[in-house]
Amino acid sequence: MANIAAGRIQRELREVMNSDEAIKNQIKIEFPIDDYSELQGEIIGPPETPYQGGRFKLHIKVPETYPFNPPQVKFVTKIWHPNISSVTGAICLDILKDQWAAAMTLRTVLLSLQALLADAEPDDPQDAVVAKQYKDDHDEYIRTAKHWTTVYAGGNTKNQELEQKVKQIVEMGFEETCAREALSSSCWDVAKAIENLMS
Amino acid sequence: MKVKVKSWTAVATWRWIANDDNCGICRTAFDGCCPDCKMPGDDCPLVWGQCSHVFHMHCILKWLNSQQVHQLCPMCRQEWKFKE
Repeated sequence: MANIAAGRIQRELREVMNSDEAIKNQIKIEFPIDDYSELQGEIIGPPETPYQGGRFKLHIKVPETYPFNPPQVKFVTKIWHPNISSVTGAICLDILKDQWAAAMTLRTVLLSLQALLADAEPDDPQDAVVAKQYKDDHDEYIRTAKHWTTVYAGGNTKNQELEQKVKQIVEMGFEETCAREALSSSCWDVAKAIENLMS
Repeated sequence: MKVKVKSWTAVATWRWIANDDNCGICRTAFDGCCPDCKMPGDDCPLVWGQCSHVFHMHCILKWLNSQQVHQLCPMCRQEWKFKE
């Protein structure tokens, strides 16, 4: 790893670990590999959002050219959000693309992602299905996002009705993740979800 | 008692006067040099922008060279212009 990138990442890791947010257990960074090029981040879902109570893991890849180019970040934990792909975890956020500036840090990136969870941009979507639901049927979006937070991110708002619908489709021989994705995309209409899975 | 100075050695210290402690690009202290240099001093100078933000010259040049469209200050995103 280039001199400047490695030195900066080491300082930034210290900055994140000593930050107020880390002390309050709201953000976290770990580095499983010693060369600091691949990091694992974690943020908690902001209060009073459908992501409250969830812990979301992130994969962070630091390029050789850091900090002149942004880190590549994606969600490892599955999440239902207009600006995050429900399939791949890819994120649509300007500061991770053309609005990156060298003065930004891993800490500000994690805080920006938390802010994105609290304030989606449905007009600049990464996941068009979620964005459409967000705009056309907001209650349904909140119900689905809460359910995903509980199932994948350790949230604690169990929804028996939705679980029952997933189970119903799984019993037909479909994989659970696929069943949940199909139901989420069709506003929990079982017949429509099955139709999507068959096509 | 009369003292006669036979020889003397002057020692001086210096530091940059910047409105920040660390370079916002490489995050090292201004009292040190950028990560590509060995010794702080005139060989690794600081430069100021008209927006009042300050960086190691080597760091801000790398940043500006990496920007294809607009040349913006990494701190405040105003157009970067070197302060005369």
